[in-house]
Amino acid sequence: MTLKIRKLQLTRRTVQLLVLVFILAVPATARYVNYLSAREQDKYMEKWDGTLQGEIIESLDTLFRSLPGGEIERGDQLVRDRKKVLEYAQKFRGGMWSAEVAGLSITDPLAAAESMAASKTAETVLWISLIFPLIATILLGRVFCSWICPMNLLLEFTDKLRRVLLFLELKPRDLRFSRWIKYTLLAVGLVLAALLSLPVLGYVYPPAMIGRELHDLVFGIFDAAERGAFGFVADGLTWMSLIIVGIVVFEIMVSRRWWCRYICPGGALYSLLSALRFVRVKRAQHACTRCAECVTVCPVGLTPITDEMGRECDNCGRCISHCDSGALAYRLGWDGARKRPAESEGGRS
Amino acid sequence: MAIRDRLPFFKQIKSVAARTAVAGGVLAGFLSLRSSRVAPAGARDSLGMVRPPGARDEKEFLALCARCTRCADSCEAQCLLLFGPEAGDLQGTPHLIPDDRACTLCMKCGETCPTGAIRPLEKKDDVRMGVAVVDKRLCVSHAGTGVCGACHTICPLRNRAITQDFRNAPVIHDDRCVGCGLCEETCIVRDRRAIRVQTDRLWPGPRYGGEAS
Repeated sequence: MTLKIRKLQLTRRTVQLLVLVFILAVPATARYVNYLSAREQDKYMEKWDGTLQGEIIESLDTLFRSLPGGEIERGDQLVRDRKKVLEYAQKFRGGMWSAEVAGLSITDPLAAAESMAASKTAETVLWISLIFPLIATILLGRVFCSWICPMNLLLEFTDKLRRVLLFLELKPRDLRFSRWIKYTLLAVGLVLAALLSLPVLGYVYPPAMIGRELHDLVFGIFDAAERGAFGFVADGLTWMSLIIVGIVVFEIMVSRRWWCRYICPGGALYSLLSALRFVRVKRAQHACTRCAECVTVCPVGLTPITDEMGRECDNCGRCISHCDSGALAYRLGWDGARKRPAESEGGRS
Repeated sequence: MAIRDRLPFFKQIKSVAARTAVAGGVLAGFLSLRSSRVAPAGARDSLGMVRPPGARDEKEFLALCARCTRCADSCEAQCLLLFGPEAGDLQGTPHLIPDDRACTLCMKCGETCPTGAIRPLEKKDDVRMGVAVVDKRLCVSHAGTGVCGACHTICPLRNRAITQDFRNAPVIHDDRCVGCGLCEETCIVRDRRAIRVQTDRLWPGPRYGGEAS
């Protein structure tokens, strides 16, 4: 059975951008909740009218008021139902590492694994927040990487920049590394977390880092407004952003999609979890024209043309979108893993 | 399979053990960046900071906390602050400085914490963030320079954690005080508060993100 999604890449890009908007909107919502709890909402909206911060707060206010039950009649006009709006707004918390989306608690499996390794305990709340990501990964594969991760979004644009460089004949280098580095890093990270009783990977894991940086950025913007400085302020950003910039520069100059292919410990964990995934990219041999376009576009550096996909595939579907003959498609079924040839490391040379 | 060329360096490292050592070295190098900080020995001083209500013991807390920012997002009073990268291994963990903004005991942080680093608490009396301590030389009611009673008025556990003596002088009951710090925030003595929250929690380092109190 195959699964066809129309405008696959457009859909994927939209989801990625929505996630980015979400991680920017959550801290702003937190400030909105703060002002609303203190009953200072209208005062701030009036005082900050026309500024960036004022507009953000006002649009959030409009959004939450428009939800069912967000407004009640008082006299002859509609006013905000403060309790109801607060209830809605407080259902959105957190960022990339762990979040509450419309009341559903979701935690990154790597964050959970590290927390468990460091504390040597497993809390029920943690298991509950793992249900959704685990089921999604086991069924759909490494979709966090391709559909949600903001670092992936950034690095996909880096990939496009590389093509501009190639067009200008500047020829960026493209070094290959071993894919086992990321599994090793994952194991080393978890062992270190257990030894030091500290979640070590969380400090340098890009999605978590981007989440924290953007969170602090938005909080910084509102802190500035409370001091009386309006507009965009980059107070919240720290030198941790430089690590992100470093990875981006490295990928442009030295190695294509270096982080996701060879280094990312989170990607390694998702790869391990998605080894038996239900949805996987498969080739119809009779239809394939062997143009090898899929090999060129694959962001993870796999070779769909040889049917050797292994666990590394993140189901982004770029090969499907670029396949002119229509030979590649998502196929449903648990049999994928069994029919896989003897290869075990998915495209390692 | 495509022919792939690798870095000569990594090509040389054949065994998994050697690769582990290299990767471990990189991580250990990063961790060595966190300065070897020494907790003030036995000092019963909070360094001006307390952990959120329901937070576990410091060591357990640091192990459990995923640094996910959820508690800071849920805080109704916006009193929870997150450490920046300059705090080393404390980065991303929540704390509050009652001098600037105290906890209103809304308990939303424990409710949202995904790892149980902050336990969900129902009753305000169960909270143990610290204990308020009065400096009798600074307190206007104790020193006899005035009659105040602001801390008693603001206390969420009024008449249990703080009772009043002659001239409204506050008397703290250590076993009932939860350490929310509202009294510290509200204290009329400005330069150095006459009432300050202190914890037994040994902070693993010097104070970050604020002026020493």
